[in-house]
Amino acid sequence: MDVLFQKTCHPAGCFSAAANWTAGRRGAKRAPMPGFLRRHATLLILSAVALIAATLVWAAQGPAAVNAALDKAWPLLLMVLPAMLAGLLLAGSLKQLIPPGALAQWMGAESGWRGLLVAALAGMATPGGPMATFPIVLVLARAGADRGAVVCYIVSWALNGLQRILVWEVPLLGADFALLRLLCGLPLGVLAGMIARRVPIAWTPPESPLAAPRR
Amino acid sequence: MTGGQVLLGVAALGVFLLAIGRGGVPAGRRALRDTGESIARVLPVMLVAIPMAAFLSQLIPPQLAAAWLGPESGMTGVLVASAVGGFIPGGPFVSFPLVLTFIKAGAGAPQMVALITAWAILGIHRVLTWELPVLGPRFVAIRLISGAALPVLAGAAAQVLLPWFPHALPVVGR
Repeated sequence: MDVLFQKTCHPAGCFSAAANWTAGRRGAKRAPMPGFLRRHATLLILSAVALIAATLVWAAQGPAAVNAALDKAWPLLLMVLPAMLAGLLLAGSLKQLIPPGALAQWMGAESGWRGLLVAALAGMATPGGPMATFPIVLVLARAGADRGAVVCYIVSWALNGLQRILVWEVPLLGADFALLRLLCGLPLGVLAGMIARRVPIAWTPPESPLAAPRR
Repeated sequence: MTGGQVLLGVAALGVFLLAIGRGGVPAGRRALRDTGESIARVLPVMLVAIPMAAFLSQLIPPQLAAAWLGPESGMTGVLVASAVGGFIPGGPFVSFPLVLTFIKAGAGAPQMVALITAWAILGIHRVLTWELPVLGPRFVAIRLISGAALPVLAGAAAQVLLPWFPHALPVVGR
């Protein structure tokens, strides 16, 4: 994590630093052990849960049920794979076309609902998992985006992120369901941002807990 | 291959060519490198997650999902889904295969919309791992208060919109 904010920098520069950090593996070699664990936590936890669940299925329903489950998993994997590859290529190419640094100035406290709209669009366009998004969010907040915009950005990314919809939701659940869900989710980011601006809890962006230089 | 997948493939190639047209060969190379890195990150997770979801769904009695989250469960089902969704751990590689197994077991579309919305907005796993350490407890409080009612809203909206989406439950119809 410490490589992320090595230098206190221009917002736009910070953006590319955050983007590079997620895309590139340059920091991985220097990352301390907890960083390694966190990076692979998903895989480790999933493997553990899969093993436990398989054991339970074996114990409760016998080895035939384990095979039955695997028989169901295989075609699903083959179905998802081509869509996933296409979705990732789409995300990787979009990233070259849209410079994320251009957005911070539009999302200040005085930006009104227009700032929320920009935040919602930016959130939807942000590809990748939480390890990419939350560092970007912190950069946004410290670059002047207000809490409404930040909340709107997070909710829009989590709920309506285009990459997730294209890579996971459409292949697995079908285009009709994905469209229905997207329609229901579209207004919620802006709504959450409007509510967040009225929640009476004081908050200022943390002075970069990630920035403390270790060297 | 479904129509949606073909469309996605065409869109991906189109944007890829656009990136090359705009930024030249280096941009294309960067796009491919980003894509390769994403694949290296996502593929192993998916190879584990999909069998995991299959095992989990083998353990969940389908009647349970149908009874609590079926199309007839109405707003009660939406409320249940909104409450349960926040506790589904992990990323889309867990939630969407799980939702698929729920749908196969007879869950309703509005209930699944509420479930996905609750997982996305309130997912406790993501809050604890990322939001809390990066943005702090006060921010988490603000955001959770702002988002608490949204899954129910989304489920209600889906209930209203459902007549326009007769094919929203793909697996059952096939």
